[in-house]
Amino acid sequence: MPYTDEIQAKARELLSRGQTACVIGYEAGPRGRVRPAFIYSPDDAGRLVWNRGCTHNLTTYLCQKLRPHGHNGSKPGRVAIVVKPCDSRAINVLLAENQFSRDQVYIIGVTCDGIVEGAGFKSITEGPLQKRCQQCSEHVPVIYDVLIGQPAPSGKTSGEDKDLARLEAMSPVERAEFWLSQFDRCIRCYACRQACPMCNCPTCLYERDDSLWVGAGIRVDEKRTFHLGRAYHLAGRCVGCDECERVCPMQIPIGLLNRKLAKEMQTMFGFRAGVAPVPSPITTILNGEGS
Amino acid sequence: MYEPKIIAFLCTWCSYTGADLAGTSRLKTPWNVRAVRVPCSGRVSPELVMRAFDQGADGVLVLGCHIGECHYDSGNHRTAKRIPVLHSLMTFAGLEPERLRLDWVSASEGDRFARIVNEFTEAVRALGPSQWRHVNSLPSVELPNTAPQEVKEAGVGG
Repeated sequence: MPYTDEIQAKARELLSRGQTACVIGYEAGPRGRVRPAFIYSPDDAGRLVWNRGCTHNLTTYLCQKLRPHGHNGSKPGRVAIVVKPCDSRAINVLLAENQFSRDQVYIIGVTCDGIVEGAGFKSITEGPLQKRCQQCSEHVPVIYDVLIGQPAPSGKTSGEDKDLARLEAMSPVERAEFWLSQFDRCIRCYACRQACPMCNCPTCLYERDDSLWVGAGIRVDEKRTFHLGRAYHLAGRCVGCDECERVCPMQIPIGLLNRKLAKEMQTMFGFRAGVAPVPSPITTILNGEGS
Repeated sequence: MYEPKIIAFLCTWCSYTGADLAGTSRLKTPWNVRAVRVPCSGRVSPELVMRAFDQGADGVLVLGCHIGECHYDSGNHRTAKRIPVLHSLMTFAGLEPERLRLDWVSASEGDRFARIVNEFTEAVRALGPSQWRHVNSLPSVELPNTAPQEVKEAGVGG
């Protein structure tokens, strides 16, 4: 792929000049699947790749990498990261929440035409696009230090979210039944939470055994509470990278909940997560009233 | 006869005092309402509301101070944003929208408190018992899965 050389050259330059301590990017695994890579030496920069299988949202690793470490809270080294347009919005959300500062991260933005279905699970780079990519009109990252690829105007999108519309058309009882049949499969492996860049609480509310009102068990209502609670915590923060749904071993359509709330945030507050580094409107006071 | 169970989260500064006023004014309010006194309507986290429904509430009422009158200045601003979002989420998950209501009652509005509580109780009574808790007694209906099956089957094999 044409961008691979550019990314490798940039990573080599950053690491050899000591501008960053680490470059987070994609590499090909032993069986050809794309997987996240952490490059610490310019000699290893050749491992980096870019293709249509680069589905992972690498910003998940940023908070961990950039957290002050040790008891003396020493400052971690600067980190460079390869981001797609959707991932770049996650950086804006994390910046708004003061997870790290802008100068701690060097953003290698990559223009993106979509990622193929099955990426991360199969060693494929061609084929039909993921559903989220078919509905995506953003081809250029919203925030970057260097851009790989040509800035293109935002393109067409199929617009309509058929799954969401179908569910919204159901009666409450049908919807309850639908979601219970989905949540029933949940094994509470927390893969969705681990893959999510926004799920960065040191201790998850839903995994505390002393939590007074949230059960950590696997009764179906407890699983429902976990999923609805997690969706709620992502309201106005979720950038729709759909990693949670991709990594779910039980094929629960978690992304549907997130897309519904993203739509509600758009209609209620005219807000779209990550377009600018501003916090979710849920955490701020009403517009123009109060102080 | 069916009597709905209603949990009302009342802000101690306005709505709880408003409820008191309704009582001392001898206004009739339904006994279905179980009042939970909270320091501020901003204290009502979405987990609390979900918990109430999980535990068998037929309706949840959240009452706070009018916007601009919060004892903590902006606590009810958060409520005004959070509860509508929670409302749409729970509606999407299958709760009837009428079962969750947010409103504002000041300490001097005993009559308003009585009116809201009566309205809400009657609305919930008309809906019948909440199905939210009876998760295992729902009829089993086959619904199409939205997840892409063929992809996930490839699994970790690669």
